[in-house]
Amino acid sequence: MKLVILKNNLRDGLNALERTVTENTNLPILKNVLIRTFNNKIQLSATNLELAITRFVSGKIIEEGSITAPLSTLLSITNNTNNERINLNVENNTLLFKTDNYEAVIQGLPEEEFPIIPKLENISNYLQINSEILKDSLSKVINAVQISEIRPEISGVLFDFQVTNFKLVGTDSFRLAEKTINENEFKSTFQRGFKIIIPLKTAQELLRISMSEIVTIFIDPNQMLFKSDDLEIISRLIDGTYPDYEQIIPKSLETDLVFEREHLVNAVKLVSTFSGKINDVKISLKDGKKFLEIYSANQYLGENKYLVPTKAKGKDFNVSFNWRYLIDGLKNFSSQEMVFGINGDNRPALLKNSADNSYFYILMPIKS
Amino acid sequence: MEFDQLWQNALSEIELQISRPNYVTWLKNSHLIDKQDGIALVSLPNNFAKEWVENKYYKVILSVLRNLDESTKKIEFTVTNKQGSADNLKKKISNTVSKSQLAFEELKIDPETNLNPRYNLSSFVVGKSNELAFAAASAVIDEIGRKYNPFFIYGGVGLGKTHLIQGIGNEIKKKYDNNVRVKYVSSEKFTNDVIYGIRNKRMEDMKEKYRNVDVLIIDDIQFIGGKTSTEEEFFHTFNALYENNKQIIISSDRPPKFIPTLQERLSSRFEGGMLADIGYPDYELRLAILRTKIQDRGADLPENIVEFVANKVQKNLRELEGVLNRIIFYQQAKSGISLRAVEEIVNETIQQPTKNINPNQVIKAVADYFQISPNDLTGRCRQKSVVEPRQVTMYLLRDILGLSYPDIGLKLGKRDHTTAIYAYSKLSGEINKNQDLNQKVIAIKDIIYKE
Repeated sequence: MKLVILKNNLRDGLNALERTVTENTNLPILKNVLIRTFNNKIQLSATNLELAITRFVSGKIIEEGSITAPLSTLLSITNNTNNERINLNVENNTLLFKTDNYEAVIQGLPEEEFPIIPKLENISNYLQINSEILKDSLSKVINAVQISEIRPEISGVLFDFQVTNFKLVGTDSFRLAEKTINENEFKSTFQRGFKIIIPLKTAQELLRISMSEIVTIFIDPNQMLFKSDDLEIISRLIDGTYPDYEQIIPKSLETDLVFEREHLVNAVKLVSTFSGKINDVKISLKDGKKFLEIYSANQYLGENKYLVPTKAKGKDFNVSFNWRYLIDGLKNFSSQEMVFGINGDNRPALLKNSADNSYFYILMPIKS
Repeated sequence: MEFDQLWQNALSEIELQISRPNYVTWLKNSHLIDKQDGIALVSLPNNFAKEWVENKYYKVILSVLRNLDESTKKIEFTVTNKQGSADNLKKKISNTVSKSQLAFEELKIDPETNLNPRYNLSSFVVGKSNELAFAAASAVIDEIGRKYNPFFIYGGVGLGKTHLIQGIGNEIKKKYDNNVRVKYVSSEKFTNDVIYGIRNKRMEDMKEKYRNVDVLIIDDIQFIGGKTSTEEEFFHTFNALYENNKQIIISSDRPPKFIPTLQERLSSRFEGGMLADIGYPDYELRLAILRTKIQDRGADLPENIVEFVANKVQKNLRELEGVLNRIIFYQQAKSGISLRAVEEIVNETIQQPTKNINPNQVIKAVADYFQISPNDLTGRCRQKSVVEPRQVTMYLLRDILGLSYPDIGLKLGKRDHTTAIYAYSKLSGEINKNQDLNQKVIAIKDIIYKE
């Protein structure tokens, strides 16, 4: 194989694959990137056997061929090289990396030893969506997800597609976020709905990697493919049934608080300095329900409180929350004004935007 | 089993022919799951393994299998990723979650069966009042669908019906290793599904969901009474399952024939199987339950307090648990508890909501229930059809409102107080023996409290 490739192209391609490579004592080749020529393009692929990412970059192909080489080494010399043009030559399982005044010989392994990246069987039906919308929606639910060894079925993001609407859901059993993507924001040929669970790692990579405007999603029984112009992400799906979370969503709210989002975010951040080991901040109404008091205390440090103006309706309350969970939720909104619904100290509270009901975030209090 | 053995033999030979790392990476979690007409079906943990094995080791595996079993002609591969799938993604959860952080309890419910893993039969304390129901439950688990079908459990609020029927479901799942499909549903959820099905023209989904099970468990069936479409759908579901010898387990707060709005054809079907009641727990059972719960919570309470609580809280086990929770909380918060404090907690918890009920409401409710006029109750008529309601009224006035006997006599047509005493003691005795009477009284109380 003989290639000439621009530094930026190679760097962007390798960057997209960077987090996919893993150290695996049984299969050391997994830390390598596969470089091969394909359809007049240069294909770069990496996998950890759960997820495989392929990026096509442009360059001048002088001679076809392939090789695999350690990705981190390649990325680091690419990042640090000064020249725009890079020559990549393969000779007997070594990769020759050459610029005007630099030359490296990298030990590689032949393509034959690299895992074969699976193909999808069903590519007749697909779901097409603007990648910005997908990323934005994903980013709103992903911080509620955590890896759980006991409960693999919630260690991922639920894609609940029901022909006329498409919901993304994430939870770690302490909080839950749901984003609904409107019917006119996607295009699909699926006749029937499906519910699949995307591993957290895959979702994180989707968010991280830059892609072109439209992304197309294909589904197999236990894997899926995200395809965009120069990018293919194949991921396994989490096996299991997502819990029936709808019964958690509060149907009514005991107290309704309307407040300015930025103000509350700052207040919670500031007050959290004094919060204890369990990250608790206490929230209550003060001054004839005109102010929301955020309070935290620590027996060694002292205590502090902050008053945020609010419009409150309903019962008085005195509830503690994990401030990290609260901030996570608040940050997922972009509106200025928003609603915090509270249902006493042992039932879920709800964050929402009164003008837009496509997204909400539920969180459980801390027992006082 | 046979497949496992064959595959183990094959693997030990394959292991010799390929490198150790390759073996561990690609074939470690493989299984032979089927073999028919010379085609062996091998499952692999992921698609990468499938691609790799199919492309690289097909010949090796085929020749090894052929040596062991000459009939093998072909191998097909499939992917099943059951467990251990998150291996590569394991990461330490950075902020350890404290115990006081509350979690969504509903998420623990198994989405396929709807069962809450919290309920199991080993934590079900058996006593005189529920031994029949428990014995029948055990029989149902052993012989699903054949012995007692349908199995109908009834009893008052908070006596452990839900615990028992969910426990049956969980036990069946455990015993048959998930090979028996169990579905638990409250009648409210069933009704909602029917409504959803009708509204979205998706009744097929509904049918598939409920008829494709081996054990259907319906909780609080009394609530479907009077909802015509739901009853109709349930009737058909019931028949479909029953005809295929699928087990049906139903719970209710009263026997089928006392569910007022339930159609005849349904209640007669329920009576065709096994009816078992869960009665009010006796003192010994309450004591045993309390001790189990105290042990579960890892708490320690003085014996005299436990006995006091068991003695005082008589009717509702949920109340018993509530009282216990408060006592334990009190004990932890104040590091110690006295009998006096316990007395207060108990009194606060088990108070009946009597404030808003007046004697006329009781009289009216009884008259309505027996379909006679209130004047009959206060009148002089001594027909049997009036005497019984009258005695029930006296009993209830005493039981619910605690009126004095002379007062009761006065309210019911200026009768002598001895008449009231006689009626009350007669019914108090009979109510524990005569299930019919007991049900009537409970139904009337329902009417009174609902108003």
